[in-house]
Amino acid sequence: MQISTEELPGGITLVELDGRMDIAGAAAVDMKMNLIAGSAKKLLIDLKKVDFLGSMGLRSIVIPARAVNSRGGKVVLFAPNEMVESVLKTAGIDTLIPVRHDLDAAIAVLG
Amino acid sequence: MLTPENRMTGPDPSSPEPRLTLKSQLQDLTLVWSWVEALARRYSVPADTQFAIQLCLEEALSNIMRHGYQGQPSQSIAIECAPSGVENADGGELVFTVEDHAPPFDPFAAAPAAAPASIQELQPGGQGIRLMRTFASRLAWQQLPDGNRLTLAFAIPPLSPSVPSPLVP
Repeated sequence: MQISTEELPGGITLVELDGRMDIAGAAAVDMKMNLIAGSAKKLLIDLKKVDFLGSMGLRSIVIPARAVNSRGGKVVLFAPNEMVESVLKTAGIDTLIPVRHDLDAAIAVLG
Repeated sequence: MLTPENRMTGPDPSSPEPRLTLKSQLQDLTLVWSWVEALARRYSVPADTQFAIQLCLEEALSNIMRHGYQGQPSQSIAIECAPSGVENADGGELVFTVEDHAPPFDPFAAAPAAAPASIQELQPGGQGIRLMRTFASRLAWQQLPDGNRLTLAFAIPPLSPSVPSPLVP
């Protein structure tokens, strides 16, 4: 599981996740995700290279999203594949954290 | 990531064993992934069904390890895969049974938690049962004299004529 970050114009922090967000993958990115969530105000989580998402992987997204949200920030999930998005929908996360497949639309969510 | 190099390193992937025994430690889950990949190739399982199998097995096995065995790493878990009706024209099922020796617990007895109304209400855990109910075709729990048996079934398309006859467990 790989994680990389990039600062985009407008104060947006882009986090790209790459690999399997299973139990091992979630453990590999948890600390970095929580560090990022400690300071980011506008967080764009790029899921297009995530090919598996289990409930521990969901946890690695939800906890940082709650942290950003609790400080008045915004989070958007970008470009999950069909099965990863179906996991997000089953867990009800898509109704609470916006999911977008177009980068401009994702950036627009973050204002 | 799945790559040709790490997809399968065990015996002939065309004939995976029908039964796998794990220790109750999270690192043993990697054995399950390569086993499921071999089964998926063996039964021409579509990619989305393979995703569903891995998702449900991860949830079931991690629940047993963390809650059933309460983190004790030396307990055993047996998983068996049996094809059912895969030679039917309209397809069949891959049926996984997961047996442990943990205290009796029916994971499907409780109603799923209500959907959260805000990010702050969103609980980071507790999604496993909901995911299994959605992604498996059929689920069952049975109490054994000294443990539990979970059955998870997944619909698969009919085998093509080029695929060898099913395994006999």
